[in-house]
Amino acid sequence: MLKSWDTNLLSSEKKTLFSFLILYLLFSITLLSILGVIYYNFQKDLMLQKYRLELSSLANEQILKLKYLHVNFDKKRTYPRNTRFKSGIYDSSYKKIFATFKNNHIDFSKITYMENGKIYLIKEPESYYLGTKYLVLEVDSDVSWMSQTYKTISLYGAVLFLFMMVFGWFLLRLLLKPMREAIELLDRFIKDTTHELNTPVNAIMSNVEMIDKTNLNEKLAKKIKRIDIGARTVSNLYQDLTYLTLSHKIISNDEDVSLKEIIEERIEYFSLFCDSKKLKVSFTCKEDKLLHVDRKKITKLIDNLFSNAIKYNKIKGSIDIVLQEEYFEFKDSGRGIKQEKIEDMFKRYARADTSVGGFGLGLSIVGMIADEYFLHVNITSKEKEWTKVRVEW
Amino acid sequence: MVKKILIICLLHVSIFAAIYTQNCIPCHTKMPVKIDKFFYRYLLKYSSEENLKNALISYLKNPTKEKTILQEGLQNRFGVKKNTILNDEDLKKAVDEYWDIYKVFGKLK
Repeated sequence: MLKSWDTNLLSSEKKTLFSFLILYLLFSITLLSILGVIYYNFQKDLMLQKYRLELSSLANEQILKLKYLHVNFDKKRTYPRNTRFKSGIYDSSYKKIFATFKNNHIDFSKITYMENGKIYLIKEPESYYLGTKYLVLEVDSDVSWMSQTYKTISLYGAVLFLFMMVFGWFLLRLLLKPMREAIELLDRFIKDTTHELNTPVNAIMSNVEMIDKTNLNEKLAKKIKRIDIGARTVSNLYQDLTYLTLSHKIISNDEDVSLKEIIEERIEYFSLFCDSKKLKVSFTCKEDKLLHVDRKKITKLIDNLFSNAIKYNKIKGSIDIVLQEEYFEFKDSGRGIKQEKIEDMFKRYARADTSVGGFGLGLSIVGMIADEYFLHVNITSKEKEWTKVRVEW
Repeated sequence: MVKKILIICLLHVSIFAAIYTQNCIPCHTKMPVKIDKFFYRYLLKYSSEENLKNALISYLKNPTKEKTILQEGLQNRFGVKKNTILNDEDLKKAVDEYWDIYKVFGKLK
C-alpha cells in the first residue's frame, strides 16, 4: 500500500528554507519596526512643533516677568507663576535657581522634548535675569496623538506585514522551483534506473542459483561465485534505491521480529561476501530480542550495517556482531571514520571513504528506518583500527 | 569647649565680613548706585556663581573700561576704579561674602 505521493526535500534543504523563512521574517519585522519608529518620531516632532509655538509665546511672557523681578529684586521675592504651565530657571552651569516642577533631570541639549507624559520647552532669555540662562517650561502632554499614532502604526503595519508575507510566499516558490525540478529529475532518474536494474539482476541471480555447482570444476565454481557476489551487490543497491524511492512511502507492516533469527539469516546471506574478503564473523547473543518492527525494514537496516562492515573492512579482518537486551552492534576492523565526519554520515550521498564503491545511501536508509522506530544509532570509531555502529532501543 | 568653637566660628565670620565691609562698602556708599545693583548687573551678564566671581575678581585686580559693567554715565562721573590692594586670598573672601549676601539661590518664594 502506498502513502500519498509528495516531493520530499532533504533535511539540509528544509534547513535552508527554514533559515530563509526566519531571515525573511526577521527582515520584515525589522523593516516594519524601523518604519514604525520613523513614523512615530515624525508624529511626535509634529506634535512638539505645535507645542513649541504655543510654549514659546508663554515663555516670552515669563521672561518679561523675570525681567521685572530682576529689577525689583530688593522689593519683591515672589517667583512669577502661571496656571497654564510650571516653570524653572537655571544658571549657565545648569544649577537650578528656582522651579515650580519636580523634575530634576532636564535635558538642556533639546529645545522641546517629551518625557513621562510632560512636554518641556527650554528657552534662553537675551539677558540672564536673576542669573537665568535657561528658562524651562513644563506642561502636561495631550496623549490623544499617541493613541492615534499607535492605531495608524498597527493598521498599516499589519497590512504591510501581510503584503510582505504574500510577497515572501511568491519569492519562496520562485526559490523552490529549481530545487523542486532538480529533486524531481533525480527521483525520476533513480526510479527509471532502478526499474531497468530489476530484470537483468533477477535474471543473473536466478540463473546462477539454477547452475548445478556440484559438477563444476574449481576454477569455474570460483567464477560463478564471483558472478553471484557481483549480482548480490547490484541487488543490494537495487533494494536501497527502491527503498529510497518507494519503500519509505509503504505503510509499515509491524510485527514481533526475532533479531537473532534475522542476524543469523543475514550472516548466512553475506557469507559469500565475507569469504571473498576472508573476513572472520563472530556473533555473540546471550538471549534473543523481539522488536515490534517491519521485518523488511529491520532487515534493510541490518543489511546496510553488515554491508558497510564488509565493504570498509580490510582483507582477513573481522566483524563482531553483538546482540544484547538493549542494543545490537556491528564492529569491523576497517579503516575507521574521522571524528568530524561521523555527524554527516546519515546524510544522503555522504561518504567518509570514497576509495570503495557506493553511493552513500546505506546509512541514510539506516537513519530513516531508525527514526521511524525511534531507534538510536550511535557510531564510534578509531581511525585505521575499527568502527562500531550500535543500534539502541 | 563648645563655647570656644562657637567663638572661633564667630570670629572667623566676622573677619570675613570685616574684609568685605572695610574694603568694599566705604567707596560704594559714596556712589548713587548701591552695591547690590552692581551684583545684579554682574548676574545679568555672567549668570553662574563661578563665572560671576571670576569676572569680578578679574576686574578688581585689573579694572579696565572694557571689563567694567558700569553704565556710561557713571563711568564718566566716577571713572574706572583703581587696582585692589587686597591680596588674592582676601579678595576671594570678600567676593565670596558679596555673593552670599546678594545671591538669588534660596531667596525666591
